[in-house]
Amino acid sequence: MSSAQLEIQLIASLVAIACAIPGTFLVLRKMAMISDAISHSILPGIVVGFFITQDLNSPLLIVLAALTGVITVVLVEQIQKTGLVKEDTAIGLVFPALFSIGVIMIAKNANDVHLDVDAVLLGELAFAPFDRLLISGVDVGPKSLWIIGSILVITVALLFAFFKELKLSTFDAGLAASLGFSPVIIHYGLMTVASVTTVGAFDAVGAILVVALMITPAASAYLLTTDLKKMLFLSIFFGVFSAISGYWVAHWLDASIAGSITTILGLLFLVVYLFAPSKGLIAVMYREKQQKIEVSLLTFLLHLKNHTEENERHVNHLREHINWQKIRAKTVVDLALKNNMITIDKHIVSLTEKGDDFTSQAIDYIITNEDAQIEDMKDDFFLFRG
Amino acid sequence: MDLLEYIELVINDYTLRTITLGTAILGAVTGMLGSFAVLRKQSLLGDAISHAALPGIALAFLLTGAKESNTLLLGALISGLIGTFWIRGIITKTHLKSDTALGLILSLFFGFGILLLTFIQKQPNANQAGLDKYLFGQAATLVESDVWLMAIVTGLCLIVLLLFWKEFKILLFDKDYANTLGFNTKTIDILITSFIVLAIVLGLQTVGVVLMSAMLLAPAAAARQWTNSLSMMVFLAALFGAFSGVFGTAISATQNNLSTGPVIVIVASVFVIFSFIFSPNRGLLFRQIRFIKNRRDLELHKTLSFMFNIAKTHENISHPHTIKILNNFQGYTKGTLKKLVDKNYVTLNGNMWSLTQEGFETASNLYNQQLKKDE
Repeated sequence: MSSAQLEIQLIASLVAIACAIPGTFLVLRKMAMISDAISHSILPGIVVGFFITQDLNSPLLIVLAALTGVITVVLVEQIQKTGLVKEDTAIGLVFPALFSIGVIMIAKNANDVHLDVDAVLLGELAFAPFDRLLISGVDVGPKSLWIIGSILVITVALLFAFFKELKLSTFDAGLAASLGFSPVIIHYGLMTVASVTTVGAFDAVGAILVVALMITPAASAYLLTTDLKKMLFLSIFFGVFSAISGYWVAHWLDASIAGSITTILGLLFLVVYLFAPSKGLIAVMYREKQQKIEVSLLTFLLHLKNHTEENERHVNHLREHINWQKIRAKTVVDLALKNNMITIDKHIVSLTEKGDDFTSQAIDYIITNEDAQIEDMKDDFFLFRG
Repeated sequence: MDLLEYIELVINDYTLRTITLGTAILGAVTGMLGSFAVLRKQSLLGDAISHAALPGIALAFLLTGAKESNTLLLGALISGLIGTFWIRGIITKTHLKSDTALGLILSLFFGFGILLLTFIQKQPNANQAGLDKYLFGQAATLVESDVWLMAIVTGLCLIVLLLFWKEFKILLFDKDYANTLGFNTKTIDILITSFIVLAIVLGLQTVGVVLMSAMLLAPAAAARQWTNSLSMMVFLAALFGAFSGVFGTAISATQNNLSTGPVIVIVASVFVIFSFIFSPNRGLLFRQIRFIKNRRDLELHKTLSFMFNIAKTHENISHPHTIKILNNFQGYTKGTLKKLVDKNYVTLNGNMWSLTQEGFETASNLYNQQLKKDE
């Protein structure tokens, strides 16, 4: 591994961490699409900054671009406040307009500007190590490493300083406001950090990867945990993992690093989406099926409790009466038998004492409108789940 | 170049005519379908779909090796649909919210598309150049067959809209009611979403991935301000969309170095801003005017009611009082006093005022809602 390769991976990992932190809060605050809007609308800020300084790495560029990012957020909120359109429409109106202005500004000055829309949107991480920062003639490393490094340090410092405020205002804005934390300041603070991170990362990894690195690790982590600290650590881990493995995939395919990091992120999310223990697709579908059978079981038991006459409790009659398919009826009867809730004597089904107990309690809960309690009750009664 | 010359040029010049027609038709169809997206609160779906279409284009090219635009669009359509239904899967099956789902699909699909595009660029195949026009769009590459395709899709979309108008409408405004009436809301939902995806995919070549969402939203958002009726909104949105296309093309054709896509978006945004400000019912300008008028009326009423309370204590209601006692009172200004005189509620005599009979009666019924509201 050459030093350039190492530096690319280091930059990618730092970007991943710097994105994962604000990203977690954006996802929790249901503002994920704001990051997409910011990543596009910083273009005019970058262009204006570039016209002034003629240097893509100047700090002024970052300041101006971050300012445009904040302006986007303000504009979206102002439009939303008029009540003429909904928030998502406001976002969708603002960023393409600002992006168009940026594109037109580049196009009108195409002759004397070495700035490419592709470069802004897609970025090229592979070139990052060639742009060195020289301090009084001494090479101290790639410029982007320093830029993203300092952004990361500021982000982490802010995170530690305002963790409790952020947490509170994210989960209970009303309580935060009544305790005297200004939700507005925290909101704009977060937006500013998101803008600055987007800008700092864009020339290394491109605007789209910034969005992917902000949202995907956080969303994947959110499917695995509901603890904020664990979610932050998990998303940082996911981000760094994809950054490094994405780099090697790109190396192997000889393709865009940003693209392959995003692809790894996508695969990672797909795996989590499918297999997350309690919130993944498979777990959810399994649980839905289980609950369906258990609801059927309860219906079945209620039916038995209502009918004492023998002909109503005959196995075949039950199938006709409740109108179940053969397999479903068998599953339900088997489950009831396994849990010792019924006994079958000469094709006549009767409730056991336990089954009777279970059904009576369930009825109580249903009558008092506390259906949710039945879930807890199942743990006490069931030996086997559906 | 004046307007007539330009119109003549549009009619005679093949390229310009094709582009103008193409962008106009595109604007109309996206405006029409965009109305539904905006009202269904799926505004950002367009953004997500247009990004999600990219890997489809790249894969279609990798599989067929040809740059035939219909095959590429088919690929885009398929991957756009996959993206859309995955978004729906994430929202319904997990606790992730719609914005997260949109952002996820948007960035992941787009990143994958970029990976494929850069991979294609490294292939020893001279045919690959020009795929990136789908990123930012190049209206100049439109040919007549593309315009025909757009026209056919627009016609198809119009027919479906007219056929299923009441289903779409009821789904839009009261989904549960539609369900209870026995409409298959799932099918209608899939139908309208598929058409939105189709319209977006068609526009990719012209305005590109990034700006496509604005084409979908801006005409609809502008049209929403002028009307409360769905049919009118769809019609207006189509009109605004078509005009944005025509004006945008005209501006970019008469200037150097201006790509059509961004200009169309800017024109559409101007339509939006104009509508936000000047629409008679919802517009900000008239709202502000109404607000000021209401405040003046309120001040007038307050002054009148204050006068009434003073006059009430006297046997003769027209007993004169000095203007001075009105000072330090919130609602009172010289303007309101003059207005009261104009309305013949009050007569002025030097620096004394007195309530007239008419003014007394109005004031005593001021808070009686049954009285006609002419103030």
